[in-house]
Order: sequence, then structure tokens, then C-alpha cells
Amino acid sequence: MSQPALVGVHDLYKEFPIHGGLLEQLSFENGRLIRKRESVKAISGVDLEVIKGESLCVVGESGCGKSTLARVIMGLIRPSQGEVTYDQKRIDDLSMGDMLPYRRKMQMIFQNPYASLNPRMTVQQTLEEPIRFHNPDLSNSEIKDIVVSVTKSVGVDPSWSSRYPHEFSGGQRQRISIARALAVDPEFIVADEPISALDVSIQAQVLNLLMDAREQRDLTFLFITHDLAVVEHFGSRVAVMYLGTLCELAPTRKLFSVPRHPYTQALLSAIPKLNQDSSEYIKLKGEVPTPVNLPRGCVFHSRCIHTNERCTREVPEIKVYDDTSIACHAVEEGRI
Amino acid sequence: MRKEDLVALRDVSFTLDKGERLGIVGESGAGKSVAAFSILNLISKPGYISGGEIRFDGKDLTRLSLQEMSEIRGNRISMIFQDPMMTLNPVLTIGTQMTEALHAHQQISKEEARQRAIDSLAEVHIPSAATRIDQYPHELSGGMRQRVVIAIALITKPPLIIADEPTTALDVTIQAEIMDLLMELCNSSGVGLILITHDLGVISQMTERAIVMYAGRIVEEGDTKDIINNARHPYTHGLMGALPQKTTPGQRLNQIKGGMPPLNEIPKGCAFNPRCPLVDDICRTTRPDYTTMGSTRVACHKALSEES
Amino acid sequence: MVAVKWQQFMESAFYHDFRRDKIAITSFVIMCIYVVACYAAPLIAPYNPYDPTIIDIMDSEIPPMWLDGGNSRFLLGTDAQGRDLFSTILYGTRISLTIGICAVLLQGVLGISLGLISGYFGGRVDSFLMRLADIQLSFSTLMVAIIFLAVFQALFGTELYERLAILMLILVIGIAEWPQYARTVRASVLAEKKKEYVDAVRVVGLRPVRIMFRHILPNTLSPILVISTVQVANAIVSEAALSFLGLGMPVSKPSLGSLINSGFEFIFSGSWWITIIPGIVLIVLVLVMNLLGDFLRDVLNPKLYKN
Repeated sequence: MSQPALVGVHDLYKEFPIHGGLLEQLSFENGRLIRKRESVKAISGVDLEVIKGESLCVVGESGCGKSTLARVIMGLIRPSQGEVTYDQKRIDDLSMGDMLPYRRKMQMIFQNPYASLNPRMTVQQTLEEPIRFHNPDLSNSEIKDIVVSVTKSVGVDPSWSSRYPHEFSGGQRQRISIARALAVDPEFIVADEPISALDVSIQAQVLNLLMDAREQRDLTFLFITHDLAVVEHFGSRVAVMYLGTLCELAPTRKLFSVPRHPYTQALLSAIPKLNQDSSEYIKLKGEVPTPVNLPRGCVFHSRCIHTNERCTREVPEIKVYDDTSIACHAVEEGRI
Repeated sequence: MRKEDLVALRDVSFTLDKGERLGIVGESGAGKSVAAFSILNLISKPGYISGGEIRFDGKDLTRLSLQEMSEIRGNRISMIFQDPMMTLNPVLTIGTQMTEALHAHQQISKEEARQRAIDSLAEVHIPSAATRIDQYPHELSGGMRQRVVIAIALITKPPLIIADEPTTALDVTIQAEIMDLLMELCNSSGVGLILITHDLGVISQMTERAIVMYAGRIVEEGDTKDIINNARHPYTHGLMGALPQKTTPGQRLNQIKGGMPPLNEIPKGCAFNPRCPLVDDICRTTRPDYTTMGSTRVACHKALSEES
Repeated sequence: MVAVKWQQFMESAFYHDFRRDKIAITSFVIMCIYVVACYAAPLIAPYNPYDPTIIDIMDSEIPPMWLDGGNSRFLLGTDAQGRDLFSTILYGTRISLTIGICAVLLQGVLGISLGLISGYFGGRVDSFLMRLADIQLSFSTLMVAIIFLAVFQALFGTELYERLAILMLILVIGIAEWPQYARTVRASVLAEKKKEYVDAVRVVGLRPVRIMFRHILPNTLSPILVISTVQVANAIVSEAALSFLGLGMPVSKPSLGSLINSGFEFIFSGSWWITIIPGIVLIVLVLVMNLLGDFLRDVLNPKLYKN
């Protein structure tokens, strides 16, 4: 990893308070007035670097903090602790004005094609807005030309651009959403589950489109998904998250051939496979703990089959083995 | 059939043996849920069954009175839906909801019903079932809720369960558990299963036979293995090819162009013809009939043979 | 462009539903008649009720022309001061409608801005504005208006009050009812704010004001439209009530409410028409607006499919 990181998050924490106002925090317990403050720990201590030109996939199940991570990186929510850098410069504490040059370079593609386009704006208006905003000196006709070329590049007929989103199918809307992200010619794209709301045959189309765009425009991707099959296809490196922490970070080929973290192993074994009669998967014990009360020690210990006493006590640190980073005591001790 | 009505299903027929597991695959808008809902006559107004019959145990379900139908629903045929929160009533305890189904269909004492409910929860591997039974749905995790839904579906010991995307809303590790559970229950008690899903992986693990639907019609039906490995219909073939699992990592996926037509714009001839790579003049004019090829029945003029 | 929009409107589900709803069509037609008739009052009305030179006290309390003692000069009879009731009603409806619409515009501007700010920024701003709205709502509109208008009359005298009556009524009714808008707008802003298209424009870097007005506001228009029709009706009723209590429009420039009030003392002496006819006009106006509001709510709320 000699190249410098394009985007980095360092020691990131994000908590969402779920306690209400002062009155709702107070409660009587054992005859004493107690003030209780609770929060959902969406991300607890994540370090991650995205290297220029790569496609880093972040996988994990619902509630693991992957979407929160995407939003923190895009500056949609501020981290509780830690920092986000772009080109080695810290960006999470910038004002709106100072953030603008980065807004042009970083764009986001969203999950739900039915909610990510403003229903009261035509496709033309939706696409023109970011271009006009970031390039105030462009003339109307120049902006129109960009819109035409970008709609063509995502496979939508430019003559349809005066229509409203509800006149398009889910797949076409997702193409338009991608066009909006590409319109300002970014270098880094965060894609938050961009294909999981689509049908199988449409998923393939959109994934191909993203791969083409990546090649033609030299894009760096942070790709958030729960679908491991897609990861194997799209990602150059994969980060596996569980309950707000990073379990394993490895090159895609390696992660799929030799998963090392027990959670990664369970996750990979659970994918339904074609051509397999019996579903032989690693059964996890118990249930996912709530992110309000995280377990002590390793967050995965309550479900892990390799747990020992140390796992329940001590939070495992990320250790680097060749090109793989793993946070697991069992791996460190050579037990698996 | 009246003029101007949209046809959601056309010419759909299939059979299910006792204890058999059948999968219905298709993308959204293919009519797979409508097909399953028709079996229990659960189509919401203004939809209606314009023709054909549905035979269950020798009885034609389309001709039953409301009374007779409710005797079948939830008793002889149970349903499992995608979102457990839609099925479970948030203001009633699990126990109440489970015994309700029993009381509706059987003369049974309160204590006996409660015991049956606890047994049923234990059967779907819910730990400490005797205490869980008095909890409310929101106190359970997503996977547990779906287990409760399955327990409710099984409590009357029906010979057939219809499951509409039972694992779609769940995470992969939970999905694996639920699939495992369903398989185990089917094998141990000989329950028949109609599994509706868009996930070909789930179909291949869970079912013996599969039906592929496209634009309201069955395009291919046969042994699941043959459908997965030896798809005859270009649509099934394309669908398989579009799966990331079937392509070398990093390569472009094989995509089918276009999308599923809406019900009011289904093309003439074969509904798949505008998207089909093998399209010919006959496909644009004539609706293909079914031909049998090995274990599969396929509706295509250009059905793929073994070698292609 | 206009032609295209018109074409789109004719093909829209809204127009389709409207054409099938007989109540909505009738209400809309009656509403149109009201609006045209009252704003064209100077052209339609046979007399100008504001012109004291043509009023003859000898003509007072003439019943409508189809009754005994009716006079063909006065279609609906005359009031206690000898004004032609038909003309006075036309002018009065104009005042009522104007006050209603302007008061609702004021409510709308205040309520929509505060609701948008409250919903979009959340936190302390939201708590403050919403508690303010709660306090405001805990006083009834009429009570606030009565106190305010009575104090104003006492301080500055009736003469100044009569000159500024329309403005005062608009201000009082407008300010008293802003929380209705603020709450409705805030609720839909909270729903819209969660949608990804808002995140998408935040990623572009747009300023909050632009996001609020350009992106979120257009998506909250349906509920605003629905409550607006009902609010205009409410404002007209409030104005009528205030006028009836003697705190509204002066007798020299009567609105529907003050007309009803001025005839009230004659109702038992046989001249019922001075009160009853403006009363019917008011009731029909308010009813029609409420029916239109119901229709809009049914059409614009996708959750409420009929059948």
C-alpha cells in the first residue's frame, strides 16, 4: 500500500442519541433519581483508506453501520469523533463554503431509485442543477450539451429528459441517479446499495454501467452493499463490518478464497449457492446484539464459535497479515 | 373477461404433489405473487379470476363459498409473507395471535391451545418458548419474528404452505437459518411448499421443481436442477447469465436488454420478444405453445437445446 | 408550453377524478359563480350600497320581490337602512372573501416559512417554534381576536378602527391561525427530509434555503392546498363571527357577518330576510369550500383510495 489514500477515515465514531429531552432522561430507580442517556453506536472506531483508482466494497448486514459510514464520508452527517480526509486534508470539520470544492469531486449514488429523484422536477432540471451550481460560468447551451452527453452515457434517451421521474422504471431512474452523480465529473463516488432495490436482470445492467463508467472516467469507488456476490465482481478490496466495527479488510480474491475472520467465514457460507442441494453454512449462535448496548470485548464474541475468555474482555485490534487486516484474537493467537 | 381489463396472469397451470417443494421465480411484475394469491382467492378488488380452476385435494377452490374458503385458509393452506411485521399484529402478544388461528379452526381448550402454541414455537427453534409466547412482536428481532410467522403457519398442521419472499427482508446469515428451518420442517412433516422468490440461489437450495414466470405467463417449468443448469428459455438463460456468481469476477455481466413490460403494454406474440437475443419473425406474431424437453416444459419458438 | 401543460392537466388523474365527482363539479361551479359575482359586483349590482346619496330611508325593510309588499326594484328586498339587499350582499361577499383569502395568504406565508424552518433544522429551533404554536393554539382564535380588536377600538376610537377594519381583520385572523400551516408543513417536511433526493442535493452542496424552497416545499404543496381551502372557509366564518359580535366590519361597509348582525334585531319584527338571506349565502359559500377541500384531500392523498 505504497500509494497515498484518496479518502481516509481515522478512528471514526458515530453515535445517535436516542434519549429524548431532559425530562425523558430522568427515571426513578431504587428510590433515586437517575439521568439515563442512551445512544445507538452506529460506528465505533473504524479506520479505512480508499486508494485512488480502487473500488473498495464495504459489506455487512443491516445495522452494521455501513450506510452511516457512507454518509459520514459524504459529509451528510458529522462524526462524533475521529476524522475524514480527502487527499490528506481533513474535510469533516469544514464549513459549507469550504466544503464546496470537495463536493464537486465526491458524489453519491443512493439505494432507492424511487426516493432519490425529486418527483416534482424533470430529469433535465435534476441533471442541470448540480452542473449549473458548480460551473456558474457555463452558458445554457453548454450545460444542455453536458446533460445530453451524460444522459447518453448512462443509456437514457436524451429526448426523454423533459419527463418526470414517475414516468421511468426503477432501472432507468437508477441510471438517471448515476447520471446526476457523473454530471459534475467527480473523481470519487460513494455508492450506497445502488442495485439492491432492482430486479436481477436490471441489476446486471446497472452494475455493468457502473463498471463502464469506472473504466472510462477513472473513478474511485466506495461501494456499500450487503450482497457478497456483487462484491466479488465489483470490488478490488473488501471491508467486512459487524456492529460498527471493521472485522476484516482484504483484497477481493483473497477474501473469497481464504476468509479468515469467523464472521466473514459465516457470511460467505450463508450465501445461497446455485447447484447445491444442502445448505451447509456456519451456524452463528444467538442473535445480533443491539447497537445501544454493545457487548464488552469483541462485539462478535456472543455469536462466535471460537470465543474464549479474552474475547469477552478485550477489544481486538486490527492486525495486518500480508495484505489482509483482521481484528480477531483467535486469528492473532493462531487458533484459526 | 371484460374489455379494458388488464390481464395479470394468462394461461397459468401447474400441479403440486403432496409434500413437494415448488419454486416460482420471476422479477417484479412477472405475476408470481398474483399466481400464489389466486390459490387462496386473496386477490384484492377490483382484480378477479376470469377463468380456470384451482384444485386442492379434489375441490375447486374458485367455486367455494366464503365460509368454505376460510376453512381452507390458515387451516389447510397457510401463508408466509415477506415482512413479518405486516403479518403480526403489533398490539397482540404472540401467544394470542397463535391460539387465535387454532380456535378459529378447531374445538380446543385454552390450555391445550397454549400448549400447542408453545410446542409450535419450540419446533421453529425459538429458545425459551414458554416465556417468549407472552411477548409482543416488537420485542423480537427480525429473524425471530419470521420464525414466529412460520410457527403460526404451521400450528394447524396444514398440508401446504405458500411462502411469498419469506427471506427477502432478512440478512444473509438469518436467511440461511430460516431456509434451513423451512427445509427441516418440510422434510420432517411432509408439508408441501410453494416458494415465491426472485432469488435464484434460494430456489436452487430449497425446491425440487421450479416455475419461471415472465409478464404473467409461465415461460419454463421443470426440475430445479435442469432450470438452473440447463435453461431452455432465453429469458431463464439470460437471468442465470446475469447473476454475478455465473461470471468470472471482474468481467462485465451478461445482461438482458430492456425491462419487464407493464401489464398494459405486453407485446404481441411472445412477451419476451423485444428483449430476446434469438428473436425471429414468428416470435413477434405468434404466442408460443408449450413444448416438453426432457424434464422441462418451455414456451418458446427458439427453445435452447442441450448443447447451447 | 402553456398548451403542453394544459394537455398534461387534461390527461392527469386529478382531472379524471374531478370529472367523475359530481359534488366536486357542482361545488366548483358554485364557487366560480361566487367569485365572479362578487368581484364583478360594481358591474352586476343594481345599486352601490356605499353611496349614501342613493339610499332612501323610505325604502327600508321592503321584503323580497316575490313576497307581498315586494318591489320589483329590489330583487331581495332592502335592509333597515333602505339599501338594496342583493347589492349589499354582493359587496359584502366581496369583503368576506377578500378578508378570507388575504388572511389565509398571511397565515400561509408565516406558517409555511416557520414550518419549513422548524422541520428542516429541527432541534432547539423546532422545539421553540412548535411550543410557540402550541401556546398560540391553546387560545381560541376568536378570543385572541376579540381582545385585540376590542383593545384597539378602545385605544384609538371607532372612527380610525372603521377605516382600518379590513386590514385589522386580515392581520388578526392571519396571525392567529399560522400554527395550522406550520404544523402541516413541518409534518410533511419531516417526511420529505428523510428521502434520498434531499441527501442528493445536499451532496451537490446546495444551501439550506435553496433546498428548503426549491426542493422540499414543492413536495409539500398537496397538504398545503388541502388545508388552504378549509382555512379560507374558516377565516370567512371567523370574520363573520367577529362582525356579528360588532368587532368586524362597520355597518357602513358591511361584510356578510355584519349584515347578518344588522338584520338580527329585526328578525322577530317580521323582516327575517335581512338576516336569513345573507346567512344562506354565507353557509353555501363555506359549505362549498369545505366540499372542495374534501375532494382535494381525497385526490391528493394516495393513501385514501376510494373503492
